[in-house]
Amino acid sequence: MKVLKADFYDGNTSARHEVEIQFGPRGQLRISGLERELIVPLSQLQISPRIGNTPRSIYLPNGAKCEALDNDTIDSVLERYGQGTWQRLLHKLESRLVYVVLALVITVISVWGLVQYGVPALAERVARSLPTSVDETLAGQALSVLDHSFFSPSELDAEKQRELRTLLASITQRIEDTHVYQLEFRRGVGANAFALPSGLIVVTDELVGLAENDNEILAVLAHEVGHVVHRHQLRRLLQDSVTILIIASIAGDVTSLTSLSATLPALILETKYSRDFEREADQFTLRYLRDNNIRLHHFADILLRLEKERPSSGLGGDYLASHPATKERARLFRE
Amino acid sequence: MINESPRAGTKDIARAQRISFEFSGKAGEYFKIWIVNILLTILTLGIYSAWAKVRRKRYFYGNTHLKSSTFEYHAQPVQILKGRLIAFGAFVVYAAVDAVVPLAAAVLAILFVLAIPWLVIKAHAFNSKNSSYRNLRLNFKGNYTRALGIYIGLPILSVITLGLAYPAYMYQRAKFVVANSAYGTAPFSFSATAGAFYLIALKAVGMAIAAAAFLTVLVRGLGALPTTVAQPAPPVGGPAALLIVVGGILAFSAIRAYLDTAVANLVWSNVRASGNEFQSTLRTRHMLWLYLSNAVAIVLSLGLLIPWAQIRTMRYRLENLKLLAKDDLDGFVAREREKVSSAGEEISEFFDLDIGI
Repeated sequence: MKVLKADFYDGNTSARHEVEIQFGPRGQLRISGLERELIVPLSQLQISPRIGNTPRSIYLPNGAKCEALDNDTIDSVLERYGQGTWQRLLHKLESRLVYVVLALVITVISVWGLVQYGVPALAERVARSLPTSVDETLAGQALSVLDHSFFSPSELDAEKQRELRTLLASITQRIEDTHVYQLEFRRGVGANAFALPSGLIVVTDELVGLAENDNEILAVLAHEVGHVVHRHQLRRLLQDSVTILIIASIAGDVTSLTSLSATLPALILETKYSRDFEREADQFTLRYLRDNNIRLHHFADILLRLEKERPSSGLGGDYLASHPATKERARLFRE
Repeated sequence: MINESPRAGTKDIARAQRISFEFSGKAGEYFKIWIVNILLTILTLGIYSAWAKVRRKRYFYGNTHLKSSTFEYHAQPVQILKGRLIAFGAFVVYAAVDAVVPLAAAVLAILFVLAIPWLVIKAHAFNSKNSSYRNLRLNFKGNYTRALGIYIGLPILSVITLGLAYPAYMYQRAKFVVANSAYGTAPFSFSATAGAFYLIALKAVGMAIAAAAFLTVLVRGLGALPTTVAQPAPPVGGPAALLIVVGGILAFSAIRAYLDTAVANLVWSNVRASGNEFQSTLRTRHMLWLYLSNAVAIVLSLGLLIPWAQIRTMRYRLENLKLLAKDDLDGFVAREREKVSSAGEEISEFFDLDIGI
């Protein structure tokens, strides 16, 4: 066998000794260059796994170590004596381009599948097993916080408020759901409506003003009920936490989680999930309108009017928007 | 070395060799290891991640050279796997208790906080004892009460004093880590002062104030949005918003690059062991360039350039780390070996505790 150059460290001091090592016919290691020659049988040696072309450590039973760079020779010795098969397989995986390309393809497909189907399915299953009381906890004091910082009280007359509450009840009576639905009115943030996970829906005066008839408001309320029924806030929370874990495991611990390169993919995924939820809520609306023989165009009408009132910024295009493009959503509701 | 006087330090250093650390990791080679790590981690539903971690660390250690010897990482994957299972188990127990008896969970949370100093000590001990250079291990021994004061007491004090105590926390933390470490039997000592940390913090605050206008707007724009019927209006119109976001990111990155660079330089340049000194000469501007170009490259490559980014960052850091060695580094002596479990390291990693210096 070939004579290899190696560094010898006895394990007691940091002194480095240059030695020559050679594996004998029965695999025994002969170390020369020290005060006296050492011969150690292969069975007593511990040889570190090969990782790239980093130096290989060969440990002797007394804790001394030889460090050698010739990985190939050491591998061939190990192979001849049937050792380190698993390690060699790993190194082969890590060094042959075709395996690496294969690994890359499988990894990309698995990550994509995980993100596209796995995470949402998991979140849905978990959300379904949790009681609605979780949604109430999740909603917490959100409205009072929003009241404090954004909203002012509604100026809608009591009659109109009562009428719209009946409208909401007409939707929620027909579905099997344990959420306690409430409708509140506020003004001050432009025409919009949103739902808290607990079932509390807030509609702004501006939206009521923008609507040309009650069917349009009904459609908007159905959309919000869709969010609540499908537990979107809870699922979003679950999905976002899992996403962060996946990104962390891919990026490894060198890039910290707070760094930009880790947050941007998380942000992109978050908005993708958000758009998926919007589509699901739109589907709910579609079904509701159809089942109750209400013309579908009402929802499209108010969406387009909302869009006209405030054009989207266009920043980041589709990938960074929390909602799908309005035109695409409206098309669904054109009969 | 023969006429050694009590104050020989400076004199020796004057005759010292200036040895640079070198890093020989290659992006292409590491990419292959990285992608196989991810693949096997996915295929084994996460179990392989312990092996992946060891391979990654062995690659980085094995490519770090100092005076023609390399470093070695010794942790056993099974040890790490056990640690991770313990961390995961602790988390499951906590979540289960929280769902059934929230009050008991609060007690558990307090216990966990009290365990943090212990975890930090265990994590550093695990890391040190599994790191060797020239077949001599590093070592770490910390005192729990001391750690409690630093890792729990000082952060609380920082909150109470609105951040005034934070640089003191950074200082004490670095000192705790360095001064409790040893290479073989040779302890490390730490000679930086709290004042130096305050100076760095002061400069960073100055930079932050300059960027404060960006910050406020940014925070407003990024709040959690309720599920609305229409896309919420952006706080400011298109191009202006873009400008603010980009400006904010730049400002954030610049401050972070400055802090990382200044603290790393300060800490390393004040570490000593047996009359050998370190010197770190990182530059903020280069660090900022690395951060920004890494981020852009990683995003544009959909993450495939992560290994490249890690390798070039490590190379820059190590090539700017020098050892002022008083001799040929042959005189360090080993100490008795002892085993330490990886539970501390893995639990603290699982809960994302900041144990770095």
